[in-house]
Amino acid sequence: MKVLDKNINAWQLGIMLFILLFANKILVLPSLLFEGAGLEAVFIPVLFFVLEMGLLFLFYKLKTKHPAQSFSFLLKNRFGTPVQVVAFVFLCAYFLCKAVLLYNVTYIFFRNVVYKDYSSFLFLFCFIPIMNHLAISGLRVMGRTMQLFFPFMLTIVLFCLVVGVFGINSSVLMFSKPFAEIALTAAKHISSFGDVVLVFVVMHRVQIKKGEWKVVFSLVTLASVLVCLITVIFILSYTYTAFMHPYAIFEIMSYVKEYGGLGRIDVVSMVGIIVFAYFHLAIYLKAFMLCFKEVFPKINPLYSVLTFNLAFLLIVGFFILNLEQAVSFAEKILPYFAIIPFGIVPILSGLLFLIKKRKEVKNE
Amino acid sequence: MSVEKILERYKKQLHNSVDIADRMIDVGGVNVGFIYLKSITDSALFAEAIFEPISRFKQTLTFENLKQIVKANDVSTIQQAEVLENILKGAVVIFISNSQEILAIDIMKYSTRVPAEPPTSAVIMGPREGFTEDFQTNISLLRRRFHSEQLVFESLAVGSITQTKVTVAYIEGIADKSIVKEVKKRIKKIKIDGVVDSYYLISLLSNRPNSFLKQVGTAEKPDVIAAKMLEGRVAIIVDNSPIVLTVPFVFLEDLQSSNDYYTNYIYSSLIRIVRVIGLLLSSIGPGIYIALQLFHYNILPIKYLITIADTTQPIPFPPFIEILFITLLFQVLYEVSLRLPSYLGLATSVVGALILGDTGVKAGLLSPPTVIVMAIAKIALYTVPEQSAQITIVQYVFIVLGASLGILGIIGGMIYLLAYANSVENFGTPFLAPFSPFILSDNKDGMLKVPVNQMKERPKSFSNEEEERMDESA
Repeated sequence: MKVLDKNINAWQLGIMLFILLFANKILVLPSLLFEGAGLEAVFIPVLFFVLEMGLLFLFYKLKTKHPAQSFSFLLKNRFGTPVQVVAFVFLCAYFLCKAVLLYNVTYIFFRNVVYKDYSSFLFLFCFIPIMNHLAISGLRVMGRTMQLFFPFMLTIVLFCLVVGVFGINSSVLMFSKPFAEIALTAAKHISSFGDVVLVFVVMHRVQIKKGEWKVVFSLVTLASVLVCLITVIFILSYTYTAFMHPYAIFEIMSYVKEYGGLGRIDVVSMVGIIVFAYFHLAIYLKAFMLCFKEVFPKINPLYSVLTFNLAFLLIVGFFILNLEQAVSFAEKILPYFAIIPFGIVPILSGLLFLIKKRKEVKNE
Repeated sequence: MSVEKILERYKKQLHNSVDIADRMIDVGGVNVGFIYLKSITDSALFAEAIFEPISRFKQTLTFENLKQIVKANDVSTIQQAEVLENILKGAVVIFISNSQEILAIDIMKYSTRVPAEPPTSAVIMGPREGFTEDFQTNISLLRRRFHSEQLVFESLAVGSITQTKVTVAYIEGIADKSIVKEVKKRIKKIKIDGVVDSYYLISLLSNRPNSFLKQVGTAEKPDVIAAKMLEGRVAIIVDNSPIVLTVPFVFLEDLQSSNDYYTNYIYSSLIRIVRVIGLLLSSIGPGIYIALQLFHYNILPIKYLITIADTTQPIPFPPFIEILFITLLFQVLYEVSLRLPSYLGLATSVVGALILGDTGVKAGLLSPPTVIVMAIAKIALYTVPEQSAQITIVQYVFIVLGASLGILGIIGGMIYLLAYANSVENFGTPFLAPFSPFILSDNKDGMLKVPVNQMKERPKSFSNEEEERMDESA
């Protein structure tokens, strides 16, 4: 078996980011944000999406300046191998933990909603082969497959939003939470954001022609707006009981379950969650593979898949089994990892603009 | 060596096969020996155009006279090493005692089928000719469509025993030279004892021979092949096969039908959408049905759920076994109807579809919704007949996924399948083009079809030498 890796274009990168921006933000996050920050929770995603857009802008500047080089090469060239290796070890850990969190949230959703008596291993049996296959097939194949599914994903999200609007209970938002509580909630859930950091990992695999950057920025903006709308509609639909409903996109449809004899249309959101989850996990694995390759350049990339699978199974199988544990993992451990997308990577990227190169930059 | 001994030697080399004919006559003191295979030569033509003029010749026969007096077109002087090959290809080989030179006259003749409409590519309006097993007929069917010197046929022999003629056909100036070169290279590399049909070449011409996906196009109609060649594809004609291969191949080709081009474009677009629906119904329909029945029954409309519950409740088998049983039954009936004579095939269909199906339902062994779902799936399979084998495999996989993992498994399977299809490329052409990667201009003849006057360019899914196919002013 050979790991295939060819370049991706602006559309494929944009769609990957579009998928990444949804993640658990359409499932458990709106409910958790409401629990901590009340109605003011609607502002938290907006704030973080602005930060993510800033991260993307930083990438745009870096990519424009160094179109053919990888982020890893730039780090090694300016700061030396230790900094490059440490940064990519952190990124490996970050993507692994994010995958664990997403898998758990998705698994708990399916176990509670559909597969009540089924074990976690059934889901692993389902998810692992597909994410492995997508990641091993390479970035281009993954990008093209996501491109094929993109119209369906967008239609599903828009459909859910339109249906969700009919379920809105209150149109008045009474803000009452103090700033400290909002800030604390934002800090607790910071790890749910920052996925845009992927662009730095795939930097050398992206080919963006002049004028195509708007595609990437438009898709990221679109995803951000849609996630914010889902959060707002969810909170307006449930107002004061939103914290009791952990699956936002699914819950906003439950008011309008039966529609004209067509059956329960909330299955549409379930299909959307499945598609997002499969692709999302595959992107995390691919990102892990690319980071692993930078840390161990001489090792066959298939070992990175093996490492990811083993670590993933270990964490999922032994440490995190229910929603409470998953939420606790997300609130207590993962926030420290947020320093990678919102701290380490932007600082290093900023320094790349400021510090002069050590030696002549060559194409890899 | 005397002519008699020469003839004896070749007869021996051909193991004194029953269809060998040899004859020796004396013409003005010169011995003339003929040897040929009766089974593949035109005996009447031999008597009239070769034997009679030679036997009536009154002067001393020389090799030059011999070439002049025979009344045949395809006359050639050959080497000793080529004698057997010429005999086996239907030529009469002539030896004369006063010359070392050997004459071969091609008068090959064998029974062939008349070009008829292929059963799987019928059209309501449009050409009804189909290729036959005769290589020359197939070439003439194509040549008739191109009155141009740009049409090129290059012949190669494949198979150490069969020496089957494999012809590479393309239009010079349109087909990409590198693709033509690669096709010839791959054909020359084939080391096999024999090629009985063009299907033998499919896996040998594929980049991923073990893949279940079809990577080489097939067609039985000359108009289809002509249209594909005009787009820049290379055709491969194999002697003794009515199926002509084309490369590069994209999945979209099998969604298209020649009928689409001989009818209104809006209707064609509609029919293509129907084909895609048929494809989905047959590939994932049974899988979704079983997933709904086992895992997601609560999403069904309540009236439909009651109907299903009422009909499936008395069935003694689990839904998975029930659906597998029906699938197997259909497959058995299909295989039987293919092999039985048509009058018996009809009877089998009646027994299978009406008696077994109806009795199975009445006996409480099968539920009506399952029978209906499987019947729809199996009928819909033939909306894209060229892909029926592949869809059948996919159908089985989705039944297993639906039964074991529900919708989660079905969607996972779809992602896996599409990612796999996306990874398949043959002759540098992505299998799912122009859908993935998305090529807007090629989608003019994709899921929807625009009128011919708007298809001004050749497909961009694969490379060709000339992009424009219509003058801009048209």
